[in-house]
Amino acid sequence: MRNDIELDAIIEDYLQGKLTPAEAEAFDKLRANDPVIDHKVVAHKVFMDAIKQYGKVLSLKEQMDKAHAGIDVASLSEKLSPHPSFIINMWRKNKSAMAIAASFILLTIFSIYSIQHNTLQNGTYEVMRREITNIKNSQNKLVRTINSSSKNEKGHVRAAQFGGTGFALTANGYLCTNYHVVRDADSVYVQNNKGDSFKVKVVYRDPQYDIAILKITDDSFTPLSSIPYKLKKNSIGMGENVYTLGYPKDDAVLGEGYISSKTGHVGDTTQYQVSIPINPGNSGGPLLDNYGNIIGVITAKENQVDGATFAIKSKYILEALNAIPQDSLGKKVVFAKKNPLQGLNRTKQIDKIENYVYMIKVYN
Amino acid sequence: MSNKLSDSVPTDREVVLGILNNSEDALNKLYIGYFPMILQFIVNNNGDEDDAKDVYQEAIIILYNKIKSGDFELSSKLKTYIYSVCRRIWLKKLAQQSKKTNNVSDFEDIVSVEVDVEYHEEKDLQFEKMGSALQNLGEPCKTIIQDFYINNLSMQDICEKFGYTNTDNAKTQKYKCLQRLKKLFFQS
Repeated sequence: MRNDIELDAIIEDYLQGKLTPAEAEAFDKLRANDPVIDHKVVAHKVFMDAIKQYGKVLSLKEQMDKAHAGIDVASLSEKLSPHPSFIINMWRKNKSAMAIAASFILLTIFSIYSIQHNTLQNGTYEVMRREITNIKNSQNKLVRTINSSSKNEKGHVRAAQFGGTGFALTANGYLCTNYHVVRDADSVYVQNNKGDSFKVKVVYRDPQYDIAILKITDDSFTPLSSIPYKLKKNSIGMGENVYTLGYPKDDAVLGEGYISSKTGHVGDTTQYQVSIPINPGNSGGPLLDNYGNIIGVITAKENQVDGATFAIKSKYILEALNAIPQDSLGKKVVFAKKNPLQGLNRTKQIDKIENYVYMIKVYN
Repeated sequence: MSNKLSDSVPTDREVVLGILNNSEDALNKLYIGYFPMILQFIVNNNGDEDDAKDVYQEAIIILYNKIKSGDFELSSKLKTYIYSVCRRIWLKKLAQQSKKTNNVSDFEDIVSVEVDVEYHEEKDLQFEKMGSALQNLGEPCKTIIQDFYINNLSMQDICEKFGYTNTDNAKTQKYKCLQRLKKLFFQS
């Protein structure tokens, strides 16, 4: 018993490092030789560690309890516990999911908004044939009776319902206009700037490019002298000054402007966009450049954009002409190699051209 | 926001240095600073305030021991660490009570703390064993052992406190107590 107490004290001192080096060495030897003592040392060490740890944790808990007492747990837990309301609870729990959903919805709205507000032209395409009102028509008739009283004219009892413009392609009476002008026509007449009316036949229709070729079939028609302008085969640059002659009223009207885009309505490559003032009745009118070359056919305008007129490129007139069997054209259509209008000023050019530009009158 | 913490949260560095230097103030600040976060987590996941307190104190002990052991590296924020430990402990407790543990409402990021928590569980087992062993030891042995080994009183002090005639008697008494305690501790 006595020895055990002594041994215990020595082990304790040994573990705490209180023994002198000599004593410690002696004890190490004893440990090495006696497994029972060694076991006691190990067990005591484990026990000492455990009880020290126990003491530490105990004091730590005590300290934390003190700190805990300083916290107003009741009010905190009231603030933090799940809200009785289902919706608020839901919101608290799913904040991030809701945020994602909300941003997705926002993104969608923005995408739709930007798709709808893209840069494409989205106005409607308004063809420029003229619906001739009864009032205008009665004036028209009045003038015509006076003008043509001496002539042997069959006389139109009915009023023309639509009007447009057309221009001569050949001296023997082939004319070009827009398909939409003569689209549902029963009969078509043309009238030159002197007021003479001739009956024409629609010989070619091209709805795709909106081009129609007419042929004057009237007996009173005398072949024209040679065509003063020529068709330009290649396309023309932006900014080129152009003009057109047309019949938005019963007399020819000049419109002047410039090529504002090489493509037409919503990027249509068969057309130019021209900044030129036109009105119903201008449809089918020739578009000429400064040198008197025909570069297009006025066909429509954008009704929501200022000064956006569209003209079919002259290339497609040629295509239309080529589509007509050569023998029915009579003579092969040949345009002058040298443009007789070149070098003339605008007034002189118009002077020469206006005899070849016709008002188209459509009855149905 | 309901889960905003109080302004008195100390910086991570303050906490680590404070604990290493046995600063009571640092521990208090740490305790007060992050308790609301854990309270929120527990009360929103089938627990009450007492559960929160138990779980939180365990987590602080784990953190404390980890810092004290010297191999503590700040691989995440203390806040994240504490939250992860509490989450782990609480999920285990819920599993033991066989309450459903899916759909845990999380309020913070989490890091992997399995190793730390398991290590702590062993230690905790020892703590429980020691606690019950001391409880079973009875007076005056319990107090003598606690005074000597935990409160670091000298044999002389104990001798006076318990009115032993000399230190040898006290030593004998302590020896007997210790033997019984060891028996209780190692056998349980």
